[in-house]
Amino acid sequence: MTATKEEANPLAEGLQLRRRPDPCILVIFGASGDLTTKKLLPALYALAVRRLLPDNFAIVGAARSTETDDGFRERMQQAVKDHARDPFDDETWERLASAMRYVTLDFADDKGEDELAQVLTDLDKEHNTRGNRVYYFAVPPSAIGTLIEEIAERRSAEGWVRLVIEKPFGHDLESAKELNALLQKNFTEEEVFRIDHYLGKETVQNMLALRFANGIFEPIWNRQFIDHVQITVAESIGIEGRAGYYEQAGAIRDIFQNHLLQLVAITAMEPPIDFTADMVRNEKLKVLKAMHTPGPKHIVRGQYGPGFVEGVEVPGYREEQGVDPSSTTDTFVAAKLFVDNWRWADTPFYVRMGKRLARRETTIAIQFKRAPHPPFEDGAGEEGLRPNVLLIHVQPNEGVSLAIGAKVPGQGMRIRTVHMDFLYGGAFREGLPDAYERLILDAMLGDQTLFTRSDEIEEQWSLVDAIVAFWQRDRPQFPNYAAGTWGPTAADELLHRDGRSWRRH
Amino acid sequence: MAPPLNAGIIEDDWTGEDVSIAQIERELARLRVDSAEESAQPNLRTSVMTHIAWVPPEWQHAAEETLAGMAERHPSRTLLLVPKPDEDDGLDAQLSIRCFPIGDRAVCGEVIELILRGDRAAAPASIALPLLISDLPVFIRWRGEPQWDSPELAQLVGIVDRLIVDSTEWKNLPAGYARLVELFDRVAVSDIAWERTERWRALLASLWPGIRDVKAIRVHGTAAQGYLLAGWLRSRLGHGVEVEVDEHERLEGVDLDGEPAPFPPGKPPVASDVLSAQLDRFGRDPVYEAAVRAAT
Repeated sequence: MTATKEEANPLAEGLQLRRRPDPCILVIFGASGDLTTKKLLPALYALAVRRLLPDNFAIVGAARSTETDDGFRERMQQAVKDHARDPFDDETWERLASAMRYVTLDFADDKGEDELAQVLTDLDKEHNTRGNRVYYFAVPPSAIGTLIEEIAERRSAEGWVRLVIEKPFGHDLESAKELNALLQKNFTEEEVFRIDHYLGKETVQNMLALRFANGIFEPIWNRQFIDHVQITVAESIGIEGRAGYYEQAGAIRDIFQNHLLQLVAITAMEPPIDFTADMVRNEKLKVLKAMHTPGPKHIVRGQYGPGFVEGVEVPGYREEQGVDPSSTTDTFVAAKLFVDNWRWADTPFYVRMGKRLARRETTIAIQFKRAPHPPFEDGAGEEGLRPNVLLIHVQPNEGVSLAIGAKVPGQGMRIRTVHMDFLYGGAFREGLPDAYERLILDAMLGDQTLFTRSDEIEEQWSLVDAIVAFWQRDRPQFPNYAAGTWGPTAADELLHRDGRSWRRH
Repeated sequence: MAPPLNAGIIEDDWTGEDVSIAQIERELARLRVDSAEESAQPNLRTSVMTHIAWVPPEWQHAAEETLAGMAERHPSRTLLLVPKPDEDDGLDAQLSIRCFPIGDRAVCGEVIELILRGDRAAAPASIALPLLISDLPVFIRWRGEPQWDSPELAQLVGIVDRLIVDSTEWKNLPAGYARLVELFDRVAVSDIAWERTERWRALLASLWPGIRDVKAIRVHGTAAQGYLLAGWLRSRLGHGVEVEVDEHERLEGVDLDGEPAPFPPGKPPVASDVLSAQLDRFGRDPVYEAAVRAAT
């Protein structure tokens, strides 16, 4: 008897079959850039080590610089040796490198596109990749438009297409809408993956687990019990030679518009009906729509001057190579935001982000209201009577801490704040995957849950445009904070006015 | 005094003869305090489970080796119960704190090795129960073939969530599987021998539908792997499958009706990886249970 194709395979039941994508080719535009060497290739190598890539898989690097296939492979091999989280293994590398090609491509030139199309067709035949394509745009926004049209024009009748688009997605609301319109003209929303690598971080996803897998938090996750929320995205590094990009973007477009607002959305969102892409994104969108534009008094911008970071003297922003000596670009933003809905009305979300701050740290701190009436005598310890704080460490030291007051052993009643810690590295000793591993794999699988939808992007830009519009009315006194500190004093005053302060570090 | 935190795995030990449970708890607390450097932040005691191992003396060395490869991945309290019923009555303990650095702190697990002498060997549950960490799952790894009618097995099965055996260690096959089936309604069971067939089962599943009418298999591996693969095919395909075992220390091939199946990709997992995978599972495995029932 012949089995029909539709008959379920009884032998597959119970096997932990890993999610493996369809055969495909990954095309990286911007293959000569830092993102490719420091993040994308190491992530692909990590996936190869864990056998999560399809058996029939090829990588094509495309960039303006002239390079041979062998030269590209050698450069990528070095990138993996320098940046991968796994030890280098010849067999794994050979598996990955054997189907790796390079195409020199001037992004405005049809000839290069023709050559790319030919290489892809050849690879389809050699590796049976069935016309499936993931195009990864690790290029400046100015180059994306032309590429999208070229790809659409040469789209094969066979297979699927997925476009992974790096931030920044546009530079304001208008340009983001234009880019979305161009994408929607040529592709469906299901084919577009706007990447915000913060969403690929385990700890950001753990916020969803913390909130929606634990019965104890959600009932108190609202204005009745939470005094305020503080979100910090701090970097100790400067602009790392990216003056051209940063002068145009500043902290508001580099971090606030994407990572920061996504962290706010995940913290404040309602429980999704299920963990599918649209359900999660619908809930995030509601938060973004409920955020009103902060007034000028509720937003602080800053720019670092010279200072010391980890004992090393560093130049100010205006002294960085390629930066206008009178630049008014913001390297720091702090804001008091409100989510105007039933759950969060009147609960401030204080956010701050910046470069050349005292240390690298991304945290979400949920500060609860004080105990209403501590029955202890004076002197029980002001320290111990501080409010509880639930602290989500996004990076580094990934994990969760809860600050509680505890009695100091001995006579009398003295109270001190102590931390109960859950460290990811402590409970789960397997190394955390890099965000790009998760996101590249999800894009290959067609899972958009951790990617940003067009309407989310537009809401984010709408908020940023309104803030930038305020800023254009005056000329800031920059620099206004020294490198290696926690930003301008105005950022402290933003909270002091409300009788609060930034968390101690 | 414990060595500094950046020295990799830090171990601090305490050994006692004729000890009480209270003494064990007290010494563990002291070891935890001592394992932190003076003036440094206290180490974290992190546990995701209590892991009991029932280790007859002849298995003691192998058990310790497996634990050494696994402790870092599953921070836990590990209770190594070594029965010595022929010795004078008493309880001896060796306690150690094993810490693994994370940044400027360290995460510590605890290993409690207990020699159950004389009558104590017959009442292991009463010794293990007060040492279990509350609210966390309890796994027991049973080395060798259990004495199926022994009170020790009955007691320990009653206090754990999961029994982990390795039927490769059994001499009495396939009869032992019939006795194992009797435990299925009392405790979730997993078998390391079964785990070791996983990549082969995935390979055989990929041969569907060509494999659906297979009548006989020849397994180049352990007897346990042969019986379990045959039981799996019988239970999944719903018809008889003859089995012949060509004994090897590890699973090296499977012939289907005389034709060798292709080799599965990847390398076979090491012992601690296999046990580690079992410790990540919590519920019953109906596919395994059906395979065991059909293996006899």
